[in-house]
Amino acid sequence: MISQQIVNGFMLGGVYVMIAVAFTLAIGVLNFLNFSIPGIFMIAGMVSWAALRGGQHWPIAFGIALAASAAVGVAVYLLTYRPSSDSDPEVPLVSSLGFLVLLENLIILWLGSDQQSFPALIVDFNWRFGSIIIGGAQLLSLVLSLAFVIALSLSLRFTNLGRQVRAIAENRRTATILGVNVGSVVSRLFVLSALFTGIGGILFAISYLQVSSSMGESIGFKGISAMIIGGMGNIWGAVAGGLLIGLVEILSTQFLGADFVNISVYGLLLALLIAKPEGLFGPVAAREKL
Amino acid sequence: MSGYQTGIIVLLALNTIAAYGVYLPMSAGQLNLGIAGFMAIGAYAAAYLTNACGWPPSAAIGAGGATAAILAFAVAMPMLRTQGIYLSLATFALGQVISAIFLNLDIVGGAAGYPVATHIEASVVVSAATLVVSLVWLMSTTRLTVYFAAVKNDPLVADLLGLNVKALGVAALTVGAGIAGVGGALYAHYFNYIEAQYFGVMLSTYTVLYVLLGGTQSVWGPLVGAAIFTLVPEALRSSSQWRYAIFALFIIVFMALRPQGLLTRGLSRQRTQARAQSGSTNS
Amino acid sequence: MTMLLSIQSLSKTFGGLEVVRDLSFDVPDGTATALIGPNGAGKTTVFNLISGVYPVTSGSIRMCGVDIVDLPSRHRIGRGIARSFQNIRLIPRLSVIDNLLIGQHVKLKRPLDVLRPFRFARDHEWIRAAKAELSAFGLSQYADEPVGLLPYGVRKRVDLIRAILSSPSLLMLDEPAAGLNASETRELHRHLDILRERGTTLLIIEHDMHFIRSICEQIVVLNFGCKIAEGPFDQVRTDQQVREAYLGTERAT
Repeated sequence: MISQQIVNGFMLGGVYVMIAVAFTLAIGVLNFLNFSIPGIFMIAGMVSWAALRGGQHWPIAFGIALAASAAVGVAVYLLTYRPSSDSDPEVPLVSSLGFLVLLENLIILWLGSDQQSFPALIVDFNWRFGSIIIGGAQLLSLVLSLAFVIALSLSLRFTNLGRQVRAIAENRRTATILGVNVGSVVSRLFVLSALFTGIGGILFAISYLQVSSSMGESIGFKGISAMIIGGMGNIWGAVAGGLLIGLVEILSTQFLGADFVNISVYGLLLALLIAKPEGLFGPVAAREKL
Repeated sequence: MSGYQTGIIVLLALNTIAAYGVYLPMSAGQLNLGIAGFMAIGAYAAAYLTNACGWPPSAAIGAGGATAAILAFAVAMPMLRTQGIYLSLATFALGQVISAIFLNLDIVGGAAGYPVATHIEASVVVSAATLVVSLVWLMSTTRLTVYFAAVKNDPLVADLLGLNVKALGVAALTVGAGIAGVGGALYAHYFNYIEAQYFGVMLSTYTVLYVLLGGTQSVWGPLVGAAIFTLVPEALRSSSQWRYAIFALFIIVFMALRPQGLLTRGLSRQRTQARAQSGSTNS
Repeated sequence: MTMLLSIQSLSKTFGGLEVVRDLSFDVPDGTATALIGPNGAGKTTVFNLISGVYPVTSGSIRMCGVDIVDLPSRHRIGRGIARSFQNIRLIPRLSVIDNLLIGQHVKLKRPLDVLRPFRFARDHEWIRAAKAELSAFGLSQYADEPVGLLPYGVRKRVDLIRAILSSPSLLMLDEPAAGLNASETRELHRHLDILRERGTTLLIIEHDMHFIRSICEQIVVLNFGCKIAEGPFDQVRTDQQVREAYLGTERAT
């Protein structure tokens, strides 16, 4: 019984992994707590739902959703990050919160605020390992999330863009002196991170078969918690944090009741922030800006 | 005055009170993303005191503010071990926890919400808001404002100049929470119904957004921000989603063009010039 | 002669790196002492240890005979230790007067006095003291200007005035003449002379040797965190070790 719950916890945690990694990328490289990420997560889910409802094939629907995510990422870069390069530290954070509010309300105006059921794209099947049952869609989503994180991690290490991104994370001024075009790298990073978040939103829709205008808030804010638990700026810490949050959520639903989930998750976050603000796995990059 | 106009003015008064609850800690460098949690504490504590203990509303509202302040004081010491972004996230988490606790607290209705029997008039809410604005303005004429600015801008130097940085931070967070608690208590007794979901992260977010819209350099900034947030959408008479969308767009554009907010200390004109100077001499 | 400041066997280690090693020197009351040495010798670290920015690794710092190494940094200004900063640390958005008010916090008698409305008390003693000092430095016209808008030389002096306004017995100046032109340096010299007449003891980090020679009776030379020489300027100047470590490279005579 308890092993089933642990498996369920990891499956749920898979949902938070992508969004936590997107947050940690923005913090680690840009030192920017980008509150528009939950909005992008929601946009991807809702736009793909709307496109599927409109009769599009799923590859096209997901393509549209990812294009919308990337467009929002570019808008956040142009309107939030770039103008704030030398203003008060809270300005970009607040402006990205503005994006979250804007995206949510635009989606409500367009598609309404009701929870929508997402069409099942893969055949519903379960795997049994002894007494443990694993949902196929959830497992697929977790595996894909981890695959994307591995791809990201490898590309940060081995591609040219990845090396430039790490140089900026290390020290922006030195990176500039070494000839890294910071503006161009950062704008591409915003697109990349938006695509990553968007894929997270789509994977959530596929595996949990429901989307709503508020899905970004409920999932995204737990993604922030996962990012902090893993240590801001630490990609694999964010993955572990996401899985841990999923586990805490399932276990507190099981033993305390569904209404206690927020108390457990955010209580854990609060305790961790006070006792060990650098996270369980420590930060990777130094901070220069909020 | 029509009921509609009264409603708007009460809304303005409540938003103004919440704005100053955010403004005070912000003037000492704390971005509080959990102000709705402190409002919830004030609202539920005061409502419980009038409903279950038969307190008169004025005493209950004061006690609501005091409860929020006491809780803030209790959590301030551990929370202020964190700074900057970590502190903001800690206040955010605290707000979420508080709201979730009230959602599960059956003694005050739990998820079903909590009806409040005693009603207060609009004039009480407006008077309380006027009082809060006057008190914050009075405070802005004391040395405390300069001390907060020092703690916000350069805590290390503030400490070396003999300021108790920790105590000032605790004071800012506590007084801000007390103001927010009073705001929540007033809300509860004017609308006669509260539910935990209302005091969620979006309420905190909107409050922070309009305070920064007004600007934190001047004591009148939060008032102007609250007025714009309340009145401009009313003037547009659009649906609430359009209001929020337009407001959010306004915030984004505004932060890009004028990040210091609407009201400043008259410095903004020459801001770029000053930056050029400090940039060339510090390097 | 009584010692205002007495440093004994002071050491500071950052992550295994010994930045200050077994440093001892005294600052006699009413004198001016210079702390010199090549870049990275640990001079500013010594200031930071005296004012309490970092805890010491070992050793003692005595102010008027009392060891202050365990005294929290914010209480040290109350013991008469004030300092200026190498990279001016004023609050850009506040006016000059407001910045100078913060410098006088140590004069606050009762904590609750901070709650008294201040803006109406135009002739409050703190404001009068700030204005008097500004006018002594010829900066009266900048009193209500936001600091961020002022030229470097003016800000440098405001930073110094803020330190002076706490009426310190020991004033530590971190490169006070850096970035000043010749006439500004002469001005500064004149002000420091006035301070010395008032009995303020000075401890100065500076690279301008003419400036040091004309102000300080005593020089302490640091290199790699150690004291390599101590004494009057002319004596230190001829010291072989100093010449090698410092004067030889800077040709400061």
